[in-house]
Amino acid sequence: MAIQKISFSATINGQKVGPMDLPEDLMAVELLQEYLNLTGTRLTCGQGVCRACTIIVEGENGPRTVPACITGISWLNGRSIRTIEGIAGKDGDGKPVPSAVQQAFLEHFAFQCSYCTPGFVNAGTVLVETLERAPIPAAQVEARILDALDANICRCTGYVRYYQALRDVILNTPGLTTDDAQETALNTAEKA
Amino acid sequence: MIRFLRILCLLVILGLVAAGLLMWKGWGAGDIPAATVDLASLDDSQRADLVTRGEAVARAGDCAACHADPGGGSDLAGGLPMVTPMGTIYGTNISPSADHGIGGWSADDLYRAVAWGVAPGGRNLYPAMPYVSYHAITREDSDALYAWLMAQPPVEKPNRANSMIPPFNFRFGISMWNALFRPDAEPFQPAAEEAPQDARGRYLVDVLGHCGECHTPRNAAYAMTDDHLAGNVIEGALAPDLRGAALAERGWTESDLDQFFHRGVAPQGVMTFRMFPVLAHSTSHLSDDDIAAMSGYLLAGQDAPGPKPRDLAGNPDESGHQLYLGLCAGCHGTDGRGQPHSSVPLDTNTTAMFADPINLIRIIGHGIEERNLAQGERMQTMPAFDDQLSDAEMGHLATYLRQRWGGQPEAVSAAAVSDARDTIRQAEAAH
Repeated sequence: MAIQKISFSATINGQKVGPMDLPEDLMAVELLQEYLNLTGTRLTCGQGVCRACTIIVEGENGPRTVPACITGISWLNGRSIRTIEGIAGKDGDGKPVPSAVQQAFLEHFAFQCSYCTPGFVNAGTVLVETLERAPIPAAQVEARILDALDANICRCTGYVRYYQALRDVILNTPGLTTDDAQETALNTAEKA
Repeated sequence: MIRFLRILCLLVILGLVAAGLLMWKGWGAGDIPAATVDLASLDDSQRADLVTRGEAVARAGDCAACHADPGGGSDLAGGLPMVTPMGTIYGTNISPSADHGIGGWSADDLYRAVAWGVAPGGRNLYPAMPYVSYHAITREDSDALYAWLMAQPPVEKPNRANSMIPPFNFRFGISMWNALFRPDAEPFQPAAEEAPQDARGRYLVDVLGHCGECHTPRNAAYAMTDDHLAGNVIEGALAPDLRGAALAERGWTESDLDQFFHRGVAPQGVMTFRMFPVLAHSTSHLSDDDIAAMSGYLLAGQDAPGPKPRDLAGNPDESGHQLYLGLCAGCHGTDGRGQPHSSVPLDTNTTAMFADPINLIRIIGHGIEERNLAQGERMQTMPAFDDQLSDAEMGHLATYLRQRWGGQPEAVSAAAVSDARDTIRQAEAAH
């Protein structure tokens, strides 16, 4: 049977991609790695369980995480997508500058082998951007981080440092919480 | 005018008399068979044997399905909500707590409650307690169940008050319902020339397993109709038609039913919604003989060719096809064959075969959490797509699945999806 194709186009990390004819049952992770050479999205379980392949899809209600290994390109057709390659900013010389989430992961030594890290960065980024639109009380931040990162698996067990890094970003970025973040951060530090 | 009033008076009086007669007929419990065992006379080993038999009765009767504590810790402490059109009923504490459970009950009291629906003091139980099905429990089983219940640890947890919509909060009204719909308690007897295994299957399915309570359609008074096991939408899900011909038509065989009861999964589907606790508390604990008896009774000798993908029905919905490839095929496969122990095959799954698409819409919308089923069998998380699919998109996807593997050519409209989502939302609001 001939491979059925669809005409695919999308915005990936701000760049227009396509239109290109692609097999209609292609999964997003294969598109990124094999057709676009964006190899930072990690394929692991292939069943949407470990979340190492998490990418970001922009939606009407803000960005959301999507597992690239089980999401077909037919769902992403026409949408705007970000992968780990699109998270860092650039300085005046065009050199990459880590995002706040990436920087915090570095400072906290959050990861070891790094295989799961793109997924954690993207899940953390979606949470930060969600809180920009809808801040929450500082007291709810930890529960919200757990909720946002719970599905992401790290076999080096870096969870605590990933979580602490993200908590630092959220509590120290003005506008992500609805109360005095500085004071809450101090209280949390004292308790720790 | 006076003539009209006279007639009206007469009708009111006749109505009151009829209501009174019904109340009298349905009031309390009728005769009960004598106890089969004198608990006080048993030695330790005899009592232990009886308790073991009682546990098997409790498993087959699936007491825990309604009486478990949703907070965990006890299968008998109560608190699970059951949503009915008359309001929400909470499972009661049936641990042997004297204050909050049934610690003060006798074996006769338990039989009256189980088979007649009447608690000590003449208090009517709501028919959410399946006494209409249990009416044929044998006194031996009731007594063994009593011994087991009394051997369990008491849980000092108060019952949660039901929230019934008036007038259903008046328990005396149940006497009228009982007069019309409650069969007299009568211990089960095999029919003439019924093979022992068939009788056992009938007893397990119809009496202890009380399958009809969900799978049999209900009338306007919420009593089971004569369309035994013909399928029914209840608590936001379709409890499908379990009659032999319908089962065979959906690809069930006796051995697949055996697997379904034993492990919770078969090529035709996985235990979901209210059937997941049924698996966990009841069917996965039944003996191979009992499971085989149930499967045999349900299939009723039908010729069962087994699971086979149905032919494509109609022209496949193109939007639905693209949604399937985008959201489903990653796990279930382009060909719908699934992956063992993680995602079910869809090509032989029965969910898309039902005339009513509510189960399909609910599963796609809400997903299913990762679960250990039974005997080591398990399933990974099925993601939830409700917040990503509009009514129209859900309709396209459901239409495609039904056409491709369900043999159902008709489109599922956005309006039908909206209605199904309302039904599901109402049922879930209480949980």
